[in-house]
Formats: sequence, C-alpha cells, structure tokens
Amino acid sequence: MNTNSHNSVVGYGASHQELRQTEESLRLIASLPAPEGLERRVHEALRSAPQRGRVLAWPAASAHGWMQDWMRSAAAAAIVFVVAGGGWGVYSRVQQGQRAKVIAMPAPAVTSGGFSSAGAMRTPQTLNGPVLTHPEQPKTQKKIPAHAGVTPGANGKTPMQAPPAQVLGRAAASR
Amino acid sequence: MCLRLVCMSTSQAIYAGWMEITHSAVVDQAHHRAEEAALAALVDQYAGALYRVAFSVLRNPADAEDAVQETFLRVLRHRDTLNEVRDQRVWLIRIVWNIVLDRKRRAKTRPETDDVAELARVLPANGLSAEARAAAAQHHARVLACVEQLPPKEREVLQLSAFEELSSVEIAEVLGITESSVRSRLFRARNLMAGLLNHERSLR
Repeated sequence: MNTNSHNSVVGYGASHQELRQTEESLRLIASLPAPEGLERRVHEALRSAPQRGRVLAWPAASAHGWMQDWMRSAAAAAIVFVVAGGGWGVYSRVQQGQRAKVIAMPAPAVTSGGFSSAGAMRTPQTLNGPVLTHPEQPKTQKKIPAHAGVTPGANGKTPMQAPPAQVLGRAAASR
Repeated sequence: MCLRLVCMSTSQAIYAGWMEITHSAVVDQAHHRAEEAALAALVDQYAGALYRVAFSVLRNPADAEDAVQETFLRVLRHRDTLNEVRDQRVWLIRIVWNIVLDRKRRAKTRPETDDVAELARVLPANGLSAEARAAAAQHHARVLACVEQLPPKEREVLQLSAFEELSSVEIAEVLGITESSVRSRLFRARNLMAGLLNHERSLR
C-alpha cells in the first residue's frame, strides 16, 4: 500500500487480491482531504488557548552574569536564614513547654443525680473454713442428782449406768 | 552634597533597572513572536497530514479535527523545545497518533462510526453513480471492519503503512519500535488480513 519497496505487498505469501483490496481501502481513507478551513480553526484554537504564565524579570538584575549570581545567592541565603530561624524558634518553644511532664488531673467532682449505692455495704465472699473432725466438747453438763428417780432406758440401763461418752455422742448427734 | 549624590545614584539605578526591564521585555516579545510564527508555519504545513492520520483511526471528521487541535495545543505548551526536535513531521505524527489511540481507547463504549452511510458521505465521488458509490462504500466498510479485527500491534503498523509519506523507519519512530519489528508486524498483519477477507468472502 506504500510506494516504498519495504512496505510493498509483493513478495509476501498472502493472497494478492485480498491484500490489494486492503491496500485500496486503507489508502483511500489515508488520502481523504482535510476539511475546508482546518488550518484557520486550528489557528483560532491556538489564539484562544490560555497563554503560559511568564516570570517577570527582576528589576534590579543587570545583564552581568556575576551580579545575577550574587543576588541569587543572597536571596537563597536570606530564604535559608528565615526558614532556619523559624524552625529554631518553634523548636526552642517546644523545648520550654516540655518542662511539666506530670499532668495533675483534677479530682472528679461529685455530681448530683446518677446512681447511688443506697447504703448497701459490700461483703466479700469468704471461702469455706476447715471442717472440724473431732466433736466439740459441751461447755455445760447437766448434773443428774443421785437420788433422782431412776427410769430405765430402752436398753434397761439407767442413764447413770451408761458411759458418759455415749451420752455426749448422742448429744452431739442430736445437735 | 552627599545626599544629592545618593539621590543621583538611586535614580540612575532605577533608570538602569527600568531600561533593563524594557530591553528584556522587547527581547521576550520578539522571541514570543518568533515562536508563534514557527507554530503557525507548522499548522499550515502539517495540519492536513495530521488530520488524515487521525481520521484513519477515528473515522470521524469531528473527532479527527479535535485530535489535530489538541496536537497543536500540546505543541504550544512545549514550544520552547521546538528547535530541538530533529524531524518535526514525525514528531507531530507521533503526538497525534498517541492522542488518537488514547481517544479510541476511551471511546470504546461509544457506538462505532463505521457505518456505510458515513463512509459513502466522506468518500470521493470520482464520477461514480449513487449506486456505485454505495457499493464501493459497502466494500470499503467490509475491509475496514476486517482491519479492526486485527490485533492492535499489527493493525497500527498496517494503518500507518497506508500513508505514502511515511517510510518504515519513520513508522518505527512513530511507534517507538525497531524497523525490523515494523517489517515483521506488517508481514503478520497482511497474512491475517488475507485470512480474514477470505473467511468473510466465504460467509457471503
């Protein structure tokens, strides 16, 4: 589709007729004329495009290169000085402010309203104590008068005849 | 006396500064005018070629014209580097090519503008009857539909090779590939096209 030898179709394996059709169509599309007034419209678009901002020349700057360099260096030094000074000022203030490291919190004010304990006291839960294995000794023993009427027990023995340990054991059991 | 001297030197300095502004402004203005003239010359020389490149991909006159305008707006933004460009024609074609591909990628959701009526409208009459023109448009639309089915790399080379003014070296420069890649892609594209057209004909 190109008149250049390297773009020529001849010599390739594809079917010649199909390739000629492709060539014709693509070349036709590629050779369509541009619409009327295209250049004028492009010129207008360029004219109405926002112009790039231009940096104003420094009035004091002269044509000598060394002067410009000197002034640029001075301006750069001034900017560095201002920035560094500002930074140092902020840094020194922050150092002063860091003296109080403990912050005293105010006591919480008692506010009216809200929930109250209503006088209830908390009793801690206690663990079960050790279990007593030996029976406790009674503090007072009933004295049985010797002359008192003897009534035989179920086993035919009077209480006096029974050993005291048995009596105590029964008392402990009944308790 | 001393004060007067100081006043004199100050006024001289201001005057010198003012002169400097005026001089630099004049130089700036002249430079600006030269840039504008160079850009206008580029528009007059290459707008048509760029339009054809854009139209070969977009197939829509309005979109192609927009692409050309966007190309020159980009050039306007980089007009400082205009003198450094070795081949301005290839450089411009590369810019418009990238714009066009980007637009086509973004406009994939839009309906295709490859309808036969649109093609018949833009094709040259060449003394053909209305029927003959319609048949020719139909034929070209079929071929172009097959071109669209090609893989992007092969399609791009094939479309650019249709421009007689572009050599394979320049096509390689536009696409940012080597010349041997251009040749191999072109070979593949032609084989694929032959197959597609054969298949399309067998279906008819």
